[in-house]
Amino acid sequence: MNEPLVQFRAVHKRFGTYVAVKSLDLDIQRGEFLALMGPSGCGKTTTLRMLAGLEAPTSGSITIGGKVMNEVPPHRRDTPLVWQSLALFPFLSVVENVEFGLRMRGVDARERRERAMMWLGRMDLKGFESRRIDQLSGGQRQRVALARSLVTEPEMLLLDEPLSALDAHLVIRMQGVLTRLQKELGITFVYVTHSQSEAFAMADRVVIMGHGAIEQIGRPREIFRGPKTRFVAEFVGRNNILGGTVKAGLMDSAQGPVSVPAPDGPAEIVVAADRVTVSRNRPAGTAIQASFLSEEFAGTGIICYFETAEGAEWKAQVSESQLAELQPESGQSFWLSWDPARAHVMTG
Amino acid sequence: MNASRKFDPYAYVWRLPLLLWQGAFFVIPLIFMAAMSFWLVKNYRMEPTFVFDNWERMLGRGAFWDAYWITLWRAVLAGVIASAIAFPASLFLAFRLTNSGRRFALLCLIVPFFTSFLVRAYAWQVILAESGPVNAALGGLGLGPFTMLNSGFGAMVGYLTLVLPLVVIFQTWSLAAIDKSLIEAAGNLGASAWATLVRVIIPAAKTGLVLGALFAFIMTFGDFVSPFYLGGSKPPTLTILIIDTTKSGQQWPRAAVVAIVMILTLFAVATAAVKAAYRGRG
Repeated sequence: MNEPLVQFRAVHKRFGTYVAVKSLDLDIQRGEFLALMGPSGCGKTTTLRMLAGLEAPTSGSITIGGKVMNEVPPHRRDTPLVWQSLALFPFLSVVENVEFGLRMRGVDARERRERAMMWLGRMDLKGFESRRIDQLSGGQRQRVALARSLVTEPEMLLLDEPLSALDAHLVIRMQGVLTRLQKELGITFVYVTHSQSEAFAMADRVVIMGHGAIEQIGRPREIFRGPKTRFVAEFVGRNNILGGTVKAGLMDSAQGPVSVPAPDGPAEIVVAADRVTVSRNRPAGTAIQASFLSEEFAGTGIICYFETAEGAEWKAQVSESQLAELQPESGQSFWLSWDPARAHVMTG
Repeated sequence: MNASRKFDPYAYVWRLPLLLWQGAFFVIPLIFMAAMSFWLVKNYRMEPTFVFDNWERMLGRGAFWDAYWITLWRAVLAGVIASAIAFPASLFLAFRLTNSGRRFALLCLIVPFFTSFLVRAYAWQVILAESGPVNAALGGLGLGPFTMLNSGFGAMVGYLTLVLPLVVIFQTWSLAAIDKSLIEAAGNLGASAWATLVRVIIPAAKTGLVLGALFAFIMTFGDFVSPFYLGGSKPPTLTILIIDTTKSGQQWPRAAVVAIVMILTLFAVATAAVKAAYRGRG
């Protein structure tokens, strides 16, 4: 494998007494679409801002292209960032916004106009070049911000929750635009988000961060189906977590004994909501009992919420026809079962 | 029907005091003054009539135009100098202080207004006098003494005393209101600190910067204390011309001509400045 484009080595970042990022080690490969994901305050934005030089690490080193960048000011880097607020200049026209980076690099007027117009064309913004920013729609502004960042042909593009202000249908469209763009340009995208649908839909690799540290790195499917820690299991997807001590393939969980294919000792298993079967009568095999709370229509199906006698919340994904068949009412008791082989045993 | 267009007695009740005040103490006196500019003075008494004598007499006089241009020039100069001196301070207040520090600093900038401007002008008379502390200090270095009072310099010191705090407040307010991500974005796109200042910070704060300079212009243009007590009335400004005209032979109608020319000038400058300040905005 080639040398990674970016290397974080033992990076710490403190603001006063608050530790935003601790002992961060991370390699970012050339040409990959990497998503940094986590709840607010997990350090993902700070990590991105350190990459852009907007924050300096308290200790550790950040190298880009083999060069230590810790003390290099933002304007001497080539790490354009797309802000959550987009940060377009309201006093400049669309084309002047796009030209800005080229102007700062001393590109002459004719060439920079040509290159800016080329990018506006590529972003479907032909004819909008002399508009003011406040005369554009949200989606158009988004594309201006992308054109402005990409016009200098950087090796890497940083994006800080760029889609969080858009309507749901526009988010899906822009995800398509971003992934296509990244494949066409072949450059590195580092994308910060708290939305797992955005991260899992676009990224080659996802980094889950919590409390300033990396919890797990992997391909979207690996993280979705194989969370390593309880933090990841709770943050990603709709997971049910069950803990206890395993003895001879049986775990003495709070919900009673369940079959777990793991060696003896303490363990935690994760059962994804879409792998739980709901039935009124006790099925054969591994099952626990819980009372129905409510249902919620999600994009992929219906999520039913249950509560066990011990007070643990369980989620199960069912189809519309299954729901019609079950006709659950609040407080009714059901059996939740799963195939023990498809439960994920956490190792982290 | 648009509901917001409906007659709303409640809203009118609240607007009424302001309308009455403006009508009684601004619009009616203004109309009276305009009418008066066509009256004549005979035996130290005004006689209502409608003749253009005052207008011809005042606008046909070289002295009037000398006073007009010096007043206009000084107001422009004070606007430019005050803006230039205030700007570094405003940058510091806007970007180097915490929010609470900035609130305290802005409060300090209001404190000068607690003292009458006339009193502050007298204070400058003492400080700038031939035998005052400034000349004493310069004398210690083997310089001077300089004549600072009763000159254009003295008047400018007065103008800046009057307008500087206000210009700093306007500038700081507009600089602090700039979206910080715009400044970061400029650096992120390759702009040095200087390029960020010129290409992003100044354009983004343009409205406040222009309005600050406009206020300095307006206050200087109509100031009487600085040119009289610190500038020694040499050369006379329009405000001094008004005083002189009313004193010599009760010529209130001719003073009204000067006042109307001043109002028209201020109106033209203010309109142009506000237009420039908001150009390119939604």
